[in-house]
Amino acid sequence: MIKVQNLSKQFKLNKKQRKESNATGDYAVAVDKISFECQPGRIFSLLGPNGAGKTTTLRMISTMVSPSSGSAEIAGYDIVKQAKEVRKNIGFLTGSTGLYERLTPDEVLKYFADLNDVSKSDFAERKERYYDLLDMHDFKNKKIGELSTGMKQKVSITRTMIHDPSVVVFDEPTSGLDVITAENIIKLIRDCKTAGKTVIFSSHIMSEVDLLCDDLAIINKGKLLYTDTMKNFRAQMQTESLTEEFIRIVREN
Amino acid sequence: MKKILIVAKKEFLDTFRDKRTLVRMILIPLLAFPLIINIMTTVQSSEMEKAAAKELKIGYVLNNQSSEMIDSLAMSPNYNFIAYTDTAALRADVVSQEINLGIGLTPTFDDDFNAGNQASFDLFYRQADSEEYDRFNVLLEKQEERLINKRLSEKSLAPMFIKPIKINLLNQSSLKEVIGKYAGGILPYLFMAFCFMGCMLPAIDLFAGEKERGTLETLLTTPVNRLHILLGKMIVVTAFGLISATVALIGLFLSLKMVKEGGEMMDVISGMLSTELILTLYVLLIPLAIFFAGIMIPISVYSRSFKEAQSILTPLNMAVILPAMVGFIPGIELNATLAFVPIVNVVLATKAIIAGNIEMIPLAITFITLIALAAIAVFISVRQFGKETNVLR
Repeated sequence: MIKVQNLSKQFKLNKKQRKESNATGDYAVAVDKISFECQPGRIFSLLGPNGAGKTTTLRMISTMVSPSSGSAEIAGYDIVKQAKEVRKNIGFLTGSTGLYERLTPDEVLKYFADLNDVSKSDFAERKERYYDLLDMHDFKNKKIGELSTGMKQKVSITRTMIHDPSVVVFDEPTSGLDVITAENIIKLIRDCKTAGKTVIFSSHIMSEVDLLCDDLAIINKGKLLYTDTMKNFRAQMQTESLTEEFIRIVREN
Repeated sequence: MKKILIVAKKEFLDTFRDKRTLVRMILIPLLAFPLIINIMTTVQSSEMEKAAAKELKIGYVLNNQSSEMIDSLAMSPNYNFIAYTDTAALRADVVSQEINLGIGLTPTFDDDFNAGNQASFDLFYRQADSEEYDRFNVLLEKQEERLINKRLSEKSLAPMFIKPIKINLLNQSSLKEVIGKYAGGILPYLFMAFCFMGCMLPAIDLFAGEKERGTLETLLTTPVNRLHILLGKMIVVTAFGLISATVALIGLFLSLKMVKEGGEMMDVISGMLSTELILTLYVLLIPLAIFFAGIMIPISVYSRSFKEAQSILTPLNMAVILPAMVGFIPGIELNATLAFVPIVNVVLATKAIIAGNIEMIPLAITFITLIALAAIAVFISVRQFGKETNVLR
């Protein structure tokens, strides 16, 4: 469960940044009073062009950056007051997430299990399950630096799920991946839904959204432009395709 | 606490698997002392032997004077005396390094000498090659002594007649003090340089490197307190500084064991490396390494990439190396004022311990200053690491 209420984030600009962005004030508004809810067992998609504020929103939800105003609750915990509890309950994965190249998948998973206080038995059981599921046994003791992008992605997925989070946050999880590798992520997102987890993912690829999501929100320049179920979005469409409709909403607001 | 250790353990494993790090933090410090001592003992002495065996070409213009002096000089081995008729040609050959030195007797040389006056000759030399002149000068001094004795005996005087006073030099300082004073600065200097280098790569890799590779974000979404992540990493950065310095110390021991020909000098140096010195060195080096880590980490946290951090930190190296060189200047000693200056105080304290004249008050000030600076550096690191604008830049 994710509840976001009037969440805002302003960044203080330094002189150089002010010049570059032609901004007049001292602050840049990255996220401007957005509110939405994501339910367990449903997939929520945060849609927006580059620089819309998607990453900042997800980082606030994941407690990496603190909001300037507004609030959010993750699995019943407040992102500011109970940040540690929030982190225990979320899995976080981005398209640009790296792994420790000099360690092996086994070592990386153990590290994150230890950091998340996962018990020995739970760790062993989950690791085996994902190794079987994603066919990772062959390379579990190889250095990550020697693995292919697809293999690395599988390690990242297992790393995200090793503490069995009830909320999973994906920030453009398939960016930079080919369709075959991206398929693993798509499958993971679906499995999370089946397992009753709350899933939020950001994207600017309509086909991916169409394939997966139950609810969606469109944001641009930090403002929430639209939020509803995917079903209603389709029903209210004024243009022929989902992509065109997305562009129309962004342009008109 | 448990989380700090989990982070530290992982960072140790990760750093130890990095070949580049191992070479720079372990191999180079380990080989540094054996190489330096080898160069000092073998290469230098063989160079000196080579120089002594080299033939010196000395041109001379007699100017119609007797060749007696030249003939007696020419009896020494490794000298080749070449006759010139023209002083200008002689000089030109010295300039062009065709010959090493040139002698031009004055036209009144024989007359002056036989009259019992001072006879003079010109010596053309190149100051740029002063070792050639120095070598020849030894020969000239012997010649002069021979001539003095000859004149004295003609007047029936004993050679001691012109040396009315003799000084018996009785050195009251030990060789240990001498080495401590003049060379004692090198030891702490090298340890500090290695300690700094040892801290630098992990400091860059564990923060800027992790940011660049996109792993820091993931680490920050774990329920581990940021302070604990920072401390875990800081332990590793500090430890690698100390490991580098320790490996250099091991290298020093090994090379002293290997070099047997060093004689008394080497015995004194190995005698200086007492348990007491090494313990004091570490007591000072530990807070210093934390201080190093504490100035590098905020820079590394702020940098976007490994390269950016490296380009800021490399010049910082000079800020450490230059004050550490104060130890090379004889005469500067640790006092209550200098004890407040970081780096300088460690070098001077170590130097004083080596020479055996350390005073407790400046040593205590040195230690307290280092602890205070380490605490400030840790505090700054914590603040910088806590800033979201730095971490997610």
